[in-house]
Amino acid sequence: MSTEQITAPGAPSPSGETAARPGPRTGANAGRRPRSLTTRRAWSFYVFAGPWVLGFLALTAFPLGYALWLSLTNADGLSNNSRFVGLENYREVLTDPETMSSLARTGVFVALTVPLSIAAGLLLAVLVNQPIRARGLFRTLLYLPAVVPPVGAALTFKLIFDRDSGAANGVLDALRIDGVSWLMDPYARWVLVTLTLWGAGNTMIISLAGLQDIPKELHEAARMDGANAWQSFTKITVPMLSPVLFFQVITGIIAAVQSFLPLLISLDPTPRGVTSVPEGNYLFMIHVFAQYFANGRYGYASAMLWVLFLIIIAITFLVFRLSKGAVFYSVDPEPTKQSRPRTIGDK
Amino acid sequence: MSTTTSLDRRRFLAVSAGTALAATGLSACAGSVDNGTNDSGSGKTTLTVMTVENEWDKKGLKAAEEALGMNLNVIIWDATKLNAMLAAKNPPDVVRGFGATETPYFAARDLMTDLDPYFSKSSVLKPSDLDPVNDVWRYDGKKQGAGPRYGMAKDYSQDSMFWYRTDLFQTAKLDAPSATEPISYDEWLDLGKKLVKRRLGKVKVYGLNATGMGVFPQLMGMTASAGGSLFTEDLATVDFSSPEALKALRWYLEYAKADIGPSVVNPNPDGWDGPTYQANRMAMSCNGYWFGGLIGADPKLAGVSRFAPAPQLGGNRVSSCFGATGFWIPRDAKNKDAAWKFFEWYFGGKPAQDRAASGWGIPSLKSLRPKMPQTNAFQKQAFAVQEQELPHFSVLSFTPYAQQAALEGVLNKVLPGAVKSGTSAGKVADQLNSRMNEQLAQGKELVG
Repeated sequence: MSTEQITAPGAPSPSGETAARPGPRTGANAGRRPRSLTTRRAWSFYVFAGPWVLGFLALTAFPLGYALWLSLTNADGLSNNSRFVGLENYREVLTDPETMSSLARTGVFVALTVPLSIAAGLLLAVLVNQPIRARGLFRTLLYLPAVVPPVGAALTFKLIFDRDSGAANGVLDALRIDGVSWLMDPYARWVLVTLTLWGAGNTMIISLAGLQDIPKELHEAARMDGANAWQSFTKITVPMLSPVLFFQVITGIIAAVQSFLPLLISLDPTPRGVTSVPEGNYLFMIHVFAQYFANGRYGYASAMLWVLFLIIIAITFLVFRLSKGAVFYSVDPEPTKQSRPRTIGDK
Repeated sequence: MSTTTSLDRRRFLAVSAGTALAATGLSACAGSVDNGTNDSGSGKTTLTVMTVENEWDKKGLKAAEEALGMNLNVIIWDATKLNAMLAAKNPPDVVRGFGATETPYFAARDLMTDLDPYFSKSSVLKPSDLDPVNDVWRYDGKKQGAGPRYGMAKDYSQDSMFWYRTDLFQTAKLDAPSATEPISYDEWLDLGKKLVKRRLGKVKVYGLNATGMGVFPQLMGMTASAGGSLFTEDLATVDFSSPEALKALRWYLEYAKADIGPSVVNPNPDGWDGPTYQANRMAMSCNGYWFGGLIGADPKLAGVSRFAPAPQLGGNRVSSCFGATGFWIPRDAKNKDAAWKFFEWYFGGKPAQDRAASGWGIPSLKSLRPKMPQTNAFQKQAFAVQEQELPHFSVLSFTPYAQQAALEGVLNKVLPGAVKSGTSAGKVADQLNSRMNEQLAQGKELVG
């Protein structure tokens, strides 16, 4: 195999000279395209990446672009008289009190559930990481709720917290305490938070995997140095787990912002029923659904989704910026030019 | 000129984009084939029917296919899916719907097929045999009840009528409502308050559910019985501030505040009255004749259930239908002739006869009315009350500018807070007018 074949065009050759692009062939090879390793690699890349690119274009880029177009119209999806309204929908999104209050409510929901579910998952992970009997059984039992489909979980909660025939009020009844309208304001939001935390098995599994990746020697060394369990947890476990926790923060925020659980836990998960979601649980995505399918405002709802998309990007960017210095990577995620691995042909 | 064979990234992405768009187009075509004209292989037509989940079991579906000589591709009814399919101009061939509240909306957007030519030729579904309820499936561009027929009801009820349990009335030592004379809404509310049973802050037995088919239609009916109309004549605005509508609104606020039954403040977790009524947990249920199908299937329940005329808010005796559930054929349906064949079989054939005899609603063909069940005492009583109520049936026009869900949505947003804070009916009316009329104006702009 020649040096020319394994050196990328423009990359330094073993002799230190920049490799020239292969020139036109003459003689017996004239007219035939050269098949360098680089070309083959390029083809491999495109063949393997192609399906994803096609999927991305058809299922993500096209719908996004179409939604962007819709957001600039007053379309209801069914009428032929829709027209271009420019940025009017975006102006309304930013000035409509109901939209802004649903957004604020979503912010509170995120601020409440993301830290709580990560903390709960971490706590459970630490517990089931202990060398105890039937550890596998406990792990399975704690993870089980996360396997239950959200619709099933919501229906179960709906039955448990029904005011007149639910188990929760049954317990209160046995204690001679007045029943509570759990699925109405102001309790509905706490039922929702509980439902979210009920699925903490997901974060537990991720944290558990992270915990098992921490070298035991670090904890042993700390113990020999006189560190107690709390110091070991805060000074070793948490920093070593910080990339995992950071991942959970990012994905948790994105999932919570798009949460649809209030609709599933509502009484009637239809366009008509969406409007009966209690005010406290009326999150941004519920409002989007109501605008789309109850009010037939495809244009406005699309604008709402674009605004949410931008908000998620902004939050993600902000969290990344704020996490600098707080997340400990055992491998540098952004190698400097000096530490970047050499390309083929480098010495 | 470069002879390099490395694939240009821009070209690759451009080709990918083109292929993706082509794939999108192809999938759309595939979708239309899937929902479309002919079945692959068997030579039979495949009719796509969007209906509720329990319309047919496996055996029933097979029997239907054999009777029709076509394959049925059943799609479970879902409002969001239907809207998406209509928007993509790839709708089912036949769609289940509520004629009373949906016809103006879809017809005004030119999404329904005018069925008059089919009715005029049919020897099974003759216009002279159609019950007047089928008029809710008509819309002439201005009002409901006139113009082309866009669908047909499978059966119907006068939905403000109510059922009550005689055992709970006896326990409360109350006289049963008259079977011939309608009671007033105030009397009805009073009965509900007396029949409700509570324990430790929880309602153990609802005294009354005042709205079986949604709050908005019920308010429409109440306003009409008081001699007014919730919609203005052009159907483009609502007026909750009129004396009649205000009276209806005031009554509903009082009902919700009394917490004697399911309401916007405390909806029934079952979603409908059936399980609650059957479990001895509801004394009076505002549902029409169709609810008797459920009651009749349970002998114990039939023994203690009776039917009563629709309560009235004023002197104008009105007893409307808020559903008239049936089927319609979308304008862009691929198999309209086959869809009509389905219509004739479903509305005029054995299924229609079986439905008429089951007690689940009044048949929508006059010729089938003698088949309504009148075997036991419960059925005889219900039939007699229903017969006396029929002359008071009327069509209340629904707006073409919004779906019922949108208007119910406003009620669900405004009323709970108003009930809790004790806001006056006048102020609530102003809020409802403002928010609903804004939505109706947006719809009107789109319909033109």
